Amino acid sequence: MGETFSNLMLGFSIALQPHILVYAFAGCIIGTLVGMMPGLGPLAGISILLPATFGLNPIVAIVLLAGVYYGAMYGGSTTSILMRIPGEAASVMTCVDGYEMTKNGRAGPALAIAAIGSFVAGTFGVVGLMLLAPTLAGWALRFGPPEYTALLMMGLFILAYMSGGSMLKTLAMAGLGLVLGMIGIDAMSGYTRFSFGIVELGDGVGIVPVAVGLFGISEILITAGAATPDNVQKPKLRDLIPSREEFRLSAGPIARGSLLGFLIGIIPGSAHIISSFVSYGIERRMSKHPERFGSGAIEGVAGPESANNAAASGAFVPMMALGIPTSPVTAVMIAAIMVHGISPGPLLMSEQPELFWGFVASMYVGNVVLLILNLPMVGLFVNLLRIPYGYLYPGILCFCILGTYSVANSLIDVWMMLIMGAVGYVLRKFHYDLAPVALGLVLAPILELSLRQSLAMSAGDYGIFVERPIAVTMFALGLIMFLFAIKPLIFKKGKDWRRDVGLEEAEGS
Amino acid sequence: MTEQTPQAPVKRGLKSDQFSGLMLVALALYIAWANQEYPVGSLAQPGPGYMPLLLAIFLGAMGLLIAFWGGRSRPLRDVQWPEAMRATIILIACGVGAFALERIGYRLTVIALMIFFTGVMERKKPLPVLLVSVGFGFISFYVVADLLDVPLPRSPWGL
Repeated sequence: MGETFSNLMLGFSIALQPHILVYAFAGCIIGTLVGMMPGLGPLAGISILLPATFGLNPIVAIVLLAGVYYGAMYGGSTTSILMRIPGEAASVMTCVDGYEMTKNGRAGPALAIAAIGSFVAGTFGVVGLMLLAPTLAGWALRFGPPEYTALLMMGLFILAYMSGGSMLKTLAMAGLGLVLGMIGIDAMSGYTRFSFGIVELGDGVGIVPVAVGLFGISEILITAGAATPDNVQKPKLRDLIPSREEFRLSAGPIARGSLLGFLIGIIPGSAHIISSFVSYGIERRMSKHPERFGSGAIEGVAGPESANNAAASGAFVPMMALGIPTSPVTAVMIAAIMVHGISPGPLLMSEQPELFWGFVASMYVGNVVLLILNLPMVGLFVNLLRIPYGYLYPGILCFCILGTYSVANSLIDVWMMLIMGAVGYVLRKFHYDLAPVALGLVLAPILELSLRQSLAMSAGDYGIFVERPIAVTMFALGLIMFLFAIKPLIFKKGKDWRRDVGLEEAEGS
Repeated sequence: MTEQTPQAPVKRGLKSDQFSGLMLVALALYIAWANQEYPVGSLAQPGPGYMPLLLAIFLGAMGLLIAFWGGRSRPLRDVQWPEAMRATIILIACGVGAFALERIGYRLTVIALMIFFTGVMERKKPLPVLLVSVGFGFISFYVVADLLDVPLPRSPWGL
């Protein structure tokens, strides 16, 4: 504990340097704006900003991008509450009761509780990251290729279980992502696979064009032509203070949402989205008056908003400790660190303590910055929502092209982004979740390499996966999750957890 | 006379999940076919074609299962595409923009794209369109290329 404290002090000595503070502040502002814009979620925002971080010091780069990430989580709630438009997917549940509160003249308290819940959950998530990541990293030092193979397989099984929609569709999308990850030079044999003679594809398909295409471009293709809502409320500072009763009702959901969000954030998938759905379902089930949900219950704002912010922090635990992304956002952030020659993973904390602890401390600072930004300045941010969508989406499109092109100065990346935008548009029409595609793309090379390295270690004997205790435990856990996932598919009477928490059971799954 | 209760007509034809599942099967077959170029190796010694083949089988199996359980999904003809024309135009315009980017430079490309989207597609008034487009092109270039030092293509005329 003493060591953790002294490390944290080292982190604060870095995070409180004026230039780092400026970047944390800039990241939070950009993130809040990005989160408020429909079509630009945290992933597209981070991807577009990524090239701008190449010339920066790695600590500054990660602080800036992390600020955009949790800033977007905060910002997404504003449009949900005031306009019933989720700025990003994790804010969908906030729309339900948040907008009803706005219609009832309680927009101010809804915004305030969302900001306070996000602050508490974000801070809780950082504490969790600080305590859990070093322990996990120490444990992960014992990992070899078989353990990494088992870990990734377990991640994919859990992804199937925790998918918000159809389990089969989620697995199919993870498969599609893994296939995309096969494009490029095979690290073990030197073969160039599926490059169709395009030299640039030898390096594989980048996460940025795929992510921006799937999440940014496809959203614009679906929403282009939508009318701008004309009446956006602009709450005043004095209207923001919640009543004593609203504080009392929100305390439990914020606490539960923080814990739940952090735990879900650690596992792979669209954690911040799933956590908000699960939190809403739990709060509705636990409420003495579940009939209030859907007509302006403040618990329906406090729980999901806390959960999605805690999940955003939780996602950094496997990223920092194991070097494995559990979400497309952390995949892009890993790319941002690796550009500087630093590999996230078990050795990061011992080899780059300034980066890890500076990053942790900057998250504390970032949460305070966001609380200050989101409450008094909400009226200022709301002005962004008055920009007609006819002007907004062309600007977003140009930013998408700019961001994708400038990662590697490659037009192939821009074409890939446009193709993925079209693919994402069609897949969304058929209700496919797109996050597993991005996740599969990033995990594919690691999974293939660790599988083949494991088999090389054991002279082709698959028994290596059951002889090693950590690997076999992870395989078993993954398999149990997978069996739970397919139970409702085989036994029609089996009750799906999605129904328990208020998520729709997907068609055909 | 017996009273007849009106029943919703049962919609026949392909369902949306059946269609999307079969598309995935087609994609999986294509991947397996294209993978023939690479040595698959053996179970004990996987080659470069091993994992893609495994994934093609997995994708195909998922596609088949989605199609098999897709009978309860909505009919394919009920999938609405009201914005498809607009989406196609946006994609084509972006494609033209991508083609032009390294030829006429970032600023001219962005200005042309903004004028097309706001002026032609959204039918905004000419003066705001011109101001927003030129302003966006020059300001974004200044911030990204000059302030953040990200190299962006310039036109042969220096713009």
